[in-house]
Amino acid sequence: MGGSSLNKPTLVINGKRTDGRDFNELRKIKITAAPLENASGSAYLEWGNNKILAAVYGPREVNPRHLADSTKAILKCRYAMAPFSSLSEHGRSGPNRRATEISKVVKEVFENAILLSEFPGSQIEIYIEILQGDGGTRAAGITAAAVALATSGIQMRDLPYAVSVGKIGEDLALDFNMIEDNYSDSDVPMAISPRNNEVLLLQMDGHMTKEEMSKAIDMAIDAGKIISAEQRRALKELYELRGESNHLKGE
Amino acid sequence: MEAMDIVEANYIKEIIAKGLRDDGRKAMDYRNIKVTKGVLGNAEGSAQVELGMTKVLAGVKLSIEEPMDDTPNLGNFMVSAELLPLASENYETGPPSPESIELARVVDRGIRAGNCIDLESLLIEEGKVWTVFADIYVLNYDGNLFDAASIAVMSALADTKVPKVENGEAKREERSAKLKLNNIVSSCTFGKFNNTILLDTNASEEKAMDGRITIATDGKAIRAIQKGLKGGFFKNEIEDAMNIALEKHEFLKGVITGE
Amino acid sequence: MLIDFMQREIVVPGDVISEKPEHIENTYIYSNKTYSKVLGIYDAASRSLVPLEGSWKPRREDSVVGIVTEVRNKVYLVDLSYFGKSFIVVGKYDEYAFKEGDIFYGEVKDIESRKNVVIKDAKKLDGGMIIHVKPKKVLRIIGKKSTMVRQISDITGTEIIIGLNGIIWLNGGRMDLAIKTIFKIEQEAHNRGLTDAIKSYLEEEIRKEVI
Repeated sequence: MGGSSLNKPTLVINGKRTDGRDFNELRKIKITAAPLENASGSAYLEWGNNKILAAVYGPREVNPRHLADSTKAILKCRYAMAPFSSLSEHGRSGPNRRATEISKVVKEVFENAILLSEFPGSQIEIYIEILQGDGGTRAAGITAAAVALATSGIQMRDLPYAVSVGKIGEDLALDFNMIEDNYSDSDVPMAISPRNNEVLLLQMDGHMTKEEMSKAIDMAIDAGKIISAEQRRALKELYELRGESNHLKGE
Repeated sequence: MEAMDIVEANYIKEIIAKGLRDDGRKAMDYRNIKVTKGVLGNAEGSAQVELGMTKVLAGVKLSIEEPMDDTPNLGNFMVSAELLPLASENYETGPPSPESIELARVVDRGIRAGNCIDLESLLIEEGKVWTVFADIYVLNYDGNLFDAASIAVMSALADTKVPKVENGEAKREERSAKLKLNNIVSSCTFGKFNNTILLDTNASEEKAMDGRITIATDGKAIRAIQKGLKGGFFKNEIEDAMNIALEKHEFLKGVITGE
Repeated sequence: MLIDFMQREIVVPGDVISEKPEHIENTYIYSNKTYSKVLGIYDAASRSLVPLEGSWKPRREDSVVGIVTEVRNKVYLVDLSYFGKSFIVVGKYDEYAFKEGDIFYGEVKDIESRKNVVIKDAKKLDGGMIIHVKPKKVLRIIGKKSTMVRQISDITGTEIIIGLNGIIWLNGGRMDLAIKTIFKIEQEAHNRGLTDAIKSYLEEEIRKEVI
């Protein structure tokens, strides 16, 4: 963030963004539910050029055992970028400070969404692997992980989605890609519970007035309708036979 | 959580629901804040902050390093945090915990996004810049580490003097120029308890806290936000928090600059 | 049975099931509305929400199939493919003694600390093999009044014992076909008319063999 002014590319041409989008337009999102067999639940997501796998294991026995909570499940979460995920050089493997922080705030999103008291004394693990990153990976990862959790059958209050809003010049713009992310001054990733619009993840840095922050939240909630719809489509698709209508086959 | 902690958390939630706090404060009151600058001689800048019984020390060291590839004319800034085992029975020795990394990165983001340090003034010569290392040492935990650490680092930066450079090397005995600051950023951290929001939570309140939100401002704009813990916030609650953080800025700026 | 299939729909966690507070399994109430906790099929006519995925949640009297993993004094620790501790307590009149690796079937006697399973009436299963299926698909594999499993057993000649914990024991006959059929049901469990479809599938498979 807050990258250099050196060789700063033009981010808006004729009122459109570099990839032709409007300011309030999402990139294309496609989710495939349950692509992995071994995991209790999984999802594969393509969001613009982001390619992300999310998987869930558990509820299973807590390891190490002394961490077990007899009243609820404990949650573990790992967000990680693959060493080959970025256009720049080979990344170091293992979590860096950024990934550690993201893993923590993502975990807190799902501590809210999952009904942990349904599984006392157990552990649930969420893995988010960024195979290819193009800006907004934490938002995309959360969106995928929510679908993975649903396919695992783990009880949840809601299916959270996430998206980021940034600022290009004086204008707010939805869903930054990597170039916009690198050369803009503000970025606000958010995760939201669609049933009541409660904000479960909110991070921001840059320069925004409070009015712009309020508008950013509204833009995220608006975009959430499209993201939620794709999450639902991916889940329902699992249970539809090829060539059949959206309704289940009648007896 | 231990059984005693659950009992305490329930008690705290009960009194908060009655509109009270266990140390008698109002919802949007800070505890007493005391800043002491220049507490360490060898560091280029330092400050100790007492926020109620929370004690945080920040030390600043400057090193001559190469600039980043994409910012050849700018100095660097880096914040780290240590939750020392001597600060709480719950802190352990070992690699940095997610909590300490989050603390350091949130403090870093506010100061960086606020352009507080004049990074251009840190260019020594081509290929040589100062890197500013700010280390947060938590000495005693009594809640709200985010604001205490933010005040400590800002105050230590305000206390920092840049060493002289001779033949491309730092001459640390001679410090003359003050580190040039362009902006002061202050941080306000709120806790959420069911539907109640409180500023500057203490340790016992944090046992009962559902959600946390930190807002860093320079009095005009919002510079950084971090929502933490599992509890969510509604839009109007975030807006209220932003308003209070903007209002409190002048007071906190005075605490940091000592004016 | 006459069911308006338009009233059956797939729901996801957070979907509103009812605009008023109602006590329906696998739902919760928030702000005077009823929401789904799971990915499942909601049948508005019978007001039931059946999860499509998920782990086994033990209840008393559930029949289970498992493997003995450790023999201790008066207790056998067993693997039910479930995260809680599971064990058989050796009673005074129990006729079977188990050794490690034995497969058994039995019934849930009790659930301790909300997760540990105590098994009663455990009987050893000799020979055969076990397979694992998703616990939420087990009821479909059994079928209404056991129609589904009975027809597999009849056509393949395989003895089949199904644990609600998702472990199934099979022995004898055309085990390969029985296994293939069970996995097919697991895949298509959400479809209607499955009993008939499976019957034709089995008959077709058997016919192919004859030719």
